[in-house]
Amino acid sequence: MTEFNWTADELQKVVDENKLVLFMKGTPEQPQCGFSARAAMVFQQLEMPFISVNILSDPRAIPSVCEWSDWPTMPQCFVDGELIGGSDIALEMYESGELQEMIAEISE
Amino acid sequence: MPTAEWMVTEVKKVYPDANIEAFDTTGSGDHWFIKIIDSKFEGMRLFQRQKPVIQHFKPHIATNYVHALDLKCWTPEQAQEREGEVPFSPHEAKRTGFVGLQVRRANKEE
Repeated sequence: MTEFNWTADELQKVVDENKLVLFMKGTPEQPQCGFSARAAMVFQQLEMPFISVNILSDPRAIPSVCEWSDWPTMPQCFVDGELIGGSDIALEMYESGELQEMIAEISE
Repeated sequence: MPTAEWMVTEVKKVYPDANIEAFDTTGSGDHWFIKIIDSKFEGMRLFQRQKPVIQHFKPHIATNYVHALDLKCWTPEQAQEREGEVPFSPHEAKRTGFVGLQVRRANKEE
């Protein structure tokens, strides 16, 4: 496996190649922050597998991701290459059904 | 340490006509649950509603003066529907595992 350097190109590739991506503190199994836990919990309810990126795994991760996405906080939820927001938005979109609709659309 | 008054004043700079309430969810002054109620949110996506607020707080997030923002940007109609909702507490979530979402686990365990 080649080294991952958190460049904008590499990060863009991650969200281009995966329909659901969650940048979070820790992992879905062992989240290190309540908001990351909440975002992972929302993604786990969806009928589509997601990948999670642990931004605590490398000290370069947080500044690199935040600069690339132009969003200063974690977690960050990406659907079909687009940043939808943090865990507050993910949860609200899940509760309203909007997130499930987005997933249904991109599954087609 | 930021106070609720300061948080409201700062959000007002972004949405002057909004009805704003700020709750310190951990007692440490750096985790905030903020309700922003504004009729101009009508027809706007949640991300677009939040983005100007997040951008405004960027310098304070960078210094960690503000560590976490849990935002609810609602139209007056949405606010009415969700009145009385309890702010999500990230530290409580870590302790109890409850993350403000009723999880349906039944299928997974079967």
